[in-house]
Amino acid sequence: MTTLRLEHVSRWYQNVVAVNDVTMTIGPGVTGLLGPNGAGKSTLIAMMSGFLAPSAGSVTLDDERLWRNEKIYRRIGIVPEREALFDYLTGRQFVVANAELHGLADPGAATQRALALVEMTDAQDRVISTYSKGMRQRVKMASALVHDPEVLLLDEPFNGMDPRQRMHLMELLHRRGGEGRTVLFSSHILEEVEQVARQIEVVVAGRHAASGDFGAIRRLMTDRPNRYVLRTSADRRLASALVADPSVRAVSLRPEGGLEVSAGDFGRFSAVLPQMASREGVRLLEVTPTDESLESVFSYLVAT
Amino acid sequence: MSSPSDSRPSGVIHDIGYRPYSGPRLGEGQIAWSLFLTGLRNCYGLGRSGRSKVLPMILLGLTLLPALIVVGVAVQLGLPELPIAYSGYPLTTNLLISVFVASQAPTMFSRDLRFRTITLYLARPLRRSTYVLVRYASLSAAAFALIWAPQLLLYVGAVLGDLPVGRETEDFAVATAGSLVLALVLAGLTALVSAVTTRRGLAVAASIVVLLVSYTVVTTVQGVATETGHDTVAEAAGLFAPYSLVNGLQVYYLGAPEGSPAPPGSAGMGALFVLAALLAVVLPVLGLLLRYRRAAVV
Amino acid sequence: MNRTIVRLGLRSVFGRRRGILLFVLPVVLIGLGLLVRLLAGATGDNAETVLDELGLTIVVPLVALIATTGLLAPEIDDGSISYLLAKPVSRHTIVLSKLVVAVGCVLVFAALPMLVTGLLIAPDEPRLALGYAIGTLAGGTAYAALFALLSVLTKHAVVVGLIYLLVWETLVGSLLDGVRWFSIARWSSVVVEEVTSVDVAQGLGPAYAVSALAVVILGATYLTGRRLRSFNLTGED
Repeated sequence: MTTLRLEHVSRWYQNVVAVNDVTMTIGPGVTGLLGPNGAGKSTLIAMMSGFLAPSAGSVTLDDERLWRNEKIYRRIGIVPEREALFDYLTGRQFVVANAELHGLADPGAATQRALALVEMTDAQDRVISTYSKGMRQRVKMASALVHDPEVLLLDEPFNGMDPRQRMHLMELLHRRGGEGRTVLFSSHILEEVEQVARQIEVVVAGRHAASGDFGAIRRLMTDRPNRYVLRTSADRRLASALVADPSVRAVSLRPEGGLEVSAGDFGRFSAVLPQMASREGVRLLEVTPTDESLESVFSYLVAT
Repeated sequence: MSSPSDSRPSGVIHDIGYRPYSGPRLGEGQIAWSLFLTGLRNCYGLGRSGRSKVLPMILLGLTLLPALIVVGVAVQLGLPELPIAYSGYPLTTNLLISVFVASQAPTMFSRDLRFRTITLYLARPLRRSTYVLVRYASLSAAAFALIWAPQLLLYVGAVLGDLPVGRETEDFAVATAGSLVLALVLAGLTALVSAVTTRRGLAVAASIVVLLVSYTVVTTVQGVATETGHDTVAEAAGLFAPYSLVNGLQVYYLGAPEGSPAPPGSAGMGALFVLAALLAVVLPVLGLLLRYRRAAVV
Repeated sequence: MNRTIVRLGLRSVFGRRRGILLFVLPVVLIGLGLLVRLLAGATGDNAETVLDELGLTIVVPLVALIATTGLLAPEIDDGSISYLLAKPVSRHTIVLSKLVVAVGCVLVFAALPMLVTGLLIAPDEPRLALGYAIGTLAGGTAYAALFALLSVLTKHAVVVGLIYLLVWETLVGSLLDGVRWFSIARWSSVVVEEVTSVDVAQGLGPAYAVSALAVVILGATYLTGRRLRSFNLTGED
C-alpha cells in the first residue's frame, strides 16, 4: 500500500496561515487536489514532496516521515510547477542524469522507456532551451517516471499543454492510477480534474473543504436544492402542478422554453415528477440535472 | 427549438459614463525627466524595498566618513592645506565607488531585460534610445553623487576652516570636472556589462572584475615600470583603468596635484588620454544602444 | 561524491557565459606576469606585488566566487535544484560533488596560473611559485566552501561574497591588523610563507592558519549540506 497521510497539518509564515489543520489520506488511484489560486495547493504538494516542513502535524508515506529523508525519493516522483530545467542539456541527457541520480542499473534503457511514455522520443536530442512549454512539461514528466515510482505528485501538470497533449497526459495518469499507484495532481481547472479523477480533495483558503467522490459530495449538500432543467410539451401546466408539491422549492420558466426547477427533497421529487407528468398529460422531453457537475459542487464549496 | 431569427449574433456597448482623456498630455521630455529621477532614486534604494537601501547608504556613509575625519583633523590642527587633494580622493576610495557602481548598474540595466519589464517602458511614447540614455544618465548621476559628495564635504570644511578660498575653489572645480568624467566612464562600463549579462549576480561579479582588476593591474605595472625606468610604459598603462585615466587627465590638463603614480608627461600622451576618455564614454553608450535595439519587446 | 552531479556541474560552469569570466582572470594574471618580466627582467623583486596583491587578494577569491556561486546560485534561484534534491542522494554528497568542481576550477584557473606567473617573474625561485600555488589551492578551497554556504543561505550570495572580499578582507584588512585572524587571504599567505620560507611579518603562526583553513573548509561544507537537507522549495516563485 502506498498511502500518503497528512495528520492535522498546518503551515504558517509568521502571520499568514497557508495551510490550516488539514487531515487527508491519499491512497492508490488518481486523486485531484482542487482549489482556487492561493488556496494552499502548492504548499500541500511541497510538504508531500519533502520540500517543506509542516509547522504542525505530520506528513507521512506509509508511516515514514517525508521531511529530511532522502531515501524516500526512491518511491516518489515529483513534477514541479516551475518551468526551470537544465537548459543546456538535451532532453535525453536530462532524463539520463535523473536516472543516474536515482541509481538505476540501466539508466539508458529506463530513459528510453520514460521518453516513449511521454512521446518525446523524436525530440530527445534537442537542447531543452529550444523546447516549447508543452515539451518541457513532458520532459519533466519523463524525469519523474524514469525510476517507476509508486507515488507521483504533480503540481499543475496541465499548464501550457495543448488539447492533444492534455488528453495524452490524462490517459497516462489514468493508466498509472489503474495499476494501483498513487497519483496526486493539483489543478484549479475543473474540467481537467473531472475527467481524470473521481476522487477529489478540495482545499479552500488553506482549509480542507471536502474529499471523496464529487457526486457523493454533492449529495451530502442537502441544504442546497438540486436544480434541474426540464423540457416538456406543456411548460406552464406542469409548472403550476410542480409548485403545488412540497418537494419543489422554486420553478421558473425559461425565456427560450423549458423549466428550471429547484428541488429540496431530491428523492421525493424524482418519484413525484413522472407521476405528475402523466397525470397532467404532459410529455417529458428532457430532464437534466444542472448542478451535478464538479463546477457547481466547487462553487458551492468556495462560496461558503 | 430556437427560431431562425435568433441565430444572428448581435452586440451592444453600454454607456457607463467612460470618457477617454482628451486633454493635454506631457511630452517625451517630461517622461524622460521623471524616468531619470526615478532611476537616480532607485540607485540609492529610495522608492524600493528597505533592504535595497542598505548597501548604497552604507557605501555613501563609508565614503563620507574619511572626508569628515580629514576635515576635522585639518581644521583642528590648523593645517595650511588639506592632507588629501580633492582629485586624489576617488583614488583612495576607489574600492567603495567600484562596489557601488557594480552593484547598482544591474538595477538599472539587467533587471528590465531579464524580467522583460522593458516592454512596459517601451509601450509608452518613449523611444528606445531615450530610455537607454536616460537610464545611463541616472546611473552616472548616482555615481557622480557618490564621488562628489565627499569632495564637497572637504571643500565646505576647507572654506569654513579658513583655508584660502580662491585656491580651494580652483582645486575643487578641477576635481568636480574630473569626477563628472569618472562617473560617466564608470557608469558606461558597468552599464554595458550589466546589459550584456542580465543575471544580477554575474553582472556584479563581472563589473567588479573589470573595475578592480584593471586598477590593480595598472597600479602594479606603473609601479614596476617607474622603478625600472620605463616611464612611457608607466604613463601608457594609466590609460587602462578609469581612475588612473581620469586622474591623469586632471593632472596634465587642469593642474591637479599628482594622484596616480604616472600621469601623462607629454602632449602626445595627454592627447592619447583625452582620446581614451572620449572612447571610454562613447563606446559603451553605443554598445548599450545596440544591445537595446536587439532586445525583443514581444 | 556523485559523478553525475560533477558532470552536471562542469557543464553548468562551462556551458554558460560565466565560463568566459573564469578564463579572463588567469589570462590577466599571466599577462601581467609577462609584462613585469619584460619590464623588470627575471629579478623576482616584484613577485610579491604581483602574486600577493593581484593574485592572492583578487584573482583567487574571484575565481572561487564565480565558480562556486555559478554552481549553486542559479539552480537555487530558478528552482531547478529540486531535480537534484528529489533523489535518494545524501545532501552532503551533492555539496561535495559541486565543491569538487569548484576546487577543480580553482586549480585550473587560479593555482596553475599562479604557478606559471611565479615562474615567469622569478624563474630562479621555483619554490616561490610553488608556495603561491599551494597557498592558492588552500585559500581557494576555503573560499569555495564559504561561498557555497553563502549560496544556500541567501539569494544575494555574490554581492555578500564581494562585500566580504572587498570591504572586510581588503579595505578593513588594510586598516586594522586584527582582521588577519579572520581573513582567508591572510591565512593562505601564511601557508605560502611556510612553503617558501619567506618571512612576511604577519604574526600568525602556521598552525593557526592551517587549522583556520581546515575549520572553514570542513565547517562550511558540513553546514551547507545540513542547510540543503532542510531546504524549502515551494511551487510559487
